[in-house]
Amino acid sequence: MFEHMMDGFYAAFSLANLVSLVFGSFVGVVVGILPGLGPMVGMVVLLPFTFSFPPDIALSLLLGVFCGGYFGGAIPAVLLRTPGVPSSIVTSFDGYPLTQKGQAQAALSAALLGSFGGGVISVLILMFLAPVLAHVAASFGPPEYFTVAFFGVVLVVMAFRSQLGRGIMLLGLGFWFSTVGIDGTTLSERYVFGTLAMQNGLDIVPICLGLFGIGQTLILVEQNIMKTDHVHLSRSTLDFSQLWQALRYWKTLIRSGVIGTFVGLLPGTGSILASFLSYDTAKRLSPEKERFGHGTPEGCIASEAGNNAVPAGAMIPLLTLGIPGDALSAVLLGVFTINGIYPGPLLLVKEPVLISTLYFSMLLINVAAFAMLIIWLRPFAMIVKVPGRLLAVVIMVVSMVGIYAVNTRLFDAGVAVAMGVLGYVLLRMGWPVVTLVMGVVLGEIMENRLRQTLSLGEGSLMILFQRPICVVLLVLTVLTIAVPLIRDTRNARKNARLPA
Amino acid sequence: MTPKPLNSRTHDLLGSVLGIGALALLVLSPWLVDTTGPDPFYKGPLLFPLITLGLILAGSVPSLFRLVRPGDARWYLDGLGRPVRAARVLVCLVLFLGGLVVFGLEISTLVFLAVALKLVGQDSRAKMVLVPLLVTVILTVIFKQLLGVWFPEPLVISFFTE
Repeated sequence: MFEHMMDGFYAAFSLANLVSLVFGSFVGVVVGILPGLGPMVGMVVLLPFTFSFPPDIALSLLLGVFCGGYFGGAIPAVLLRTPGVPSSIVTSFDGYPLTQKGQAQAALSAALLGSFGGGVISVLILMFLAPVLAHVAASFGPPEYFTVAFFGVVLVVMAFRSQLGRGIMLLGLGFWFSTVGIDGTTLSERYVFGTLAMQNGLDIVPICLGLFGIGQTLILVEQNIMKTDHVHLSRSTLDFSQLWQALRYWKTLIRSGVIGTFVGLLPGTGSILASFLSYDTAKRLSPEKERFGHGTPEGCIASEAGNNAVPAGAMIPLLTLGIPGDALSAVLLGVFTINGIYPGPLLLVKEPVLISTLYFSMLLINVAAFAMLIIWLRPFAMIVKVPGRLLAVVIMVVSMVGIYAVNTRLFDAGVAVAMGVLGYVLLRMGWPVVTLVMGVVLGEIMENRLRQTLSLGEGSLMILFQRPICVVLLVLTVLTIAVPLIRDTRNARKNARLPA
Repeated sequence: MTPKPLNSRTHDLLGSVLGIGALALLVLSPWLVDTTGPDPFYKGPLLFPLITLGLILAGSVPSLFRLVRPGDARWYLDGLGRPVRAARVLVCLVLFLGGLVVFGLEISTLVFLAVALKLVGQDSRAKMVLVPLLVTVILTVIFKQLLGVWFPEPLVISFFTE
């Protein structure tokens, strides 16, 4: 155990890994700062480049973008009240009022310290919790895996229950995309429409790159998201004295980091909920409640620690059960599977060095992103002035060439364009695109587990009711569906009774 | 006042199109999926696609109903205008893919970026010359030189060399 940890430690500090995670963090901070892009676009654009790398280097690069994006998102939220990533909107509640009072340094110090603390706390929880969960999951068979995956997708769909029908439709569409091509188990052709190109199926990379890379940049072309480019900072680096002052709120920092990790652990909840929940808890427990919303560094710490704890939190179900908690970790799952590594409880036994490398890499990513922003605060803040439309056009062409390069197939680039159109339409309409991605990523896993479960039960799903873990998970699934729906119906009735 | 997405006929139309598409695939699935293998149905290749298409169909039912009985719903996307600029850039992107085959990576990238930058209003002379040149050089160096990715010989060159 200790030996593997040390091997992982050394691997994390190898030159290639350090370069990879620093570059990933840099890209993450940049796309996080630019409103309208975000870590997802950064990850999918870099995805094609990772196929020539060993898995630990590839994952460090993408995790750098994942975590760095949340760091960067706080900058425009504090300076311009324009969140770089959606969850940073909570940071702007107190960050922007502080900027208006001429205390931008205090707000940024608190936000960045929150991001750093939340990130580190969540990695430490991940290091402790992942082996425990993996130990429990080691006794899982196909029926348990199937019910866990089923529970995961239900959680994601129910997170968008105001658009339940649309969520179900997109989940189904994602599942269906995963069935196109030659079936790996029976070698039968499915929905290839007589074409050779379709036999390889619809790869997850062009789908994700199309939906988010092309779709999001088409939106950026259409809408000028930045409202202002007026950035004012008193100095080019972060003020260290302000950092020390922000450390006064260490209890809020730790509490928010823990909240964010556990929110990230649940599929479908996302970083916005983590930010809101951490902020709300901090507000309720703070002796200076009245300052929240009018500009307090404590609010910035709480929201940023909450949202930056999500990436490591989402890694817990991904590494131990193979269930991604959100679209970003779904892309990471894709990287694992493309490299022939299948996350699950055995991963910690089979690939202990890789997992240890990931833990230390995540810690280093937090250090790298934090250090970059401390030293180059003003240059990074100036990135918001780069025209979004210019970037969008460049990202499109890089995405297209990148996607072609993965398999040297123009068909994949065509799929990415088609998915880009679909992504653009869905994103503009505000449909829950994340359910579509979850469907694509989990489709093959769920199909295989379903087949194995049915084989064990000789064609009957009653086997699920003979296994205690499955029964518990099914009860949880039913409650996940029923409780919010009943509560929503009650609220709707109550509102209907109220006089207009 | 902007209507909610639930009151939008555009949203319902998309939901209905997905639902009808799923229904068509559901009906045609026995012919579109090779089921000649020896596996029983529960281990075979058809079960999961039927479930997925059933999910799409089930999810689209409310949209289908609302499309038929619109009530106070009206045609509405998101209130942010027609996607004219995005459509133009998209056409350029499709032409860029064709251009990769006909003219090769370098010329296609240069032309796409110059035209697309003009379309999105980033049309200062410096941007329209420098950005395409810089990006083309970077892409060529990374993909062709460093990663050694194979690109098809441009049809134009084949035409003149044959």
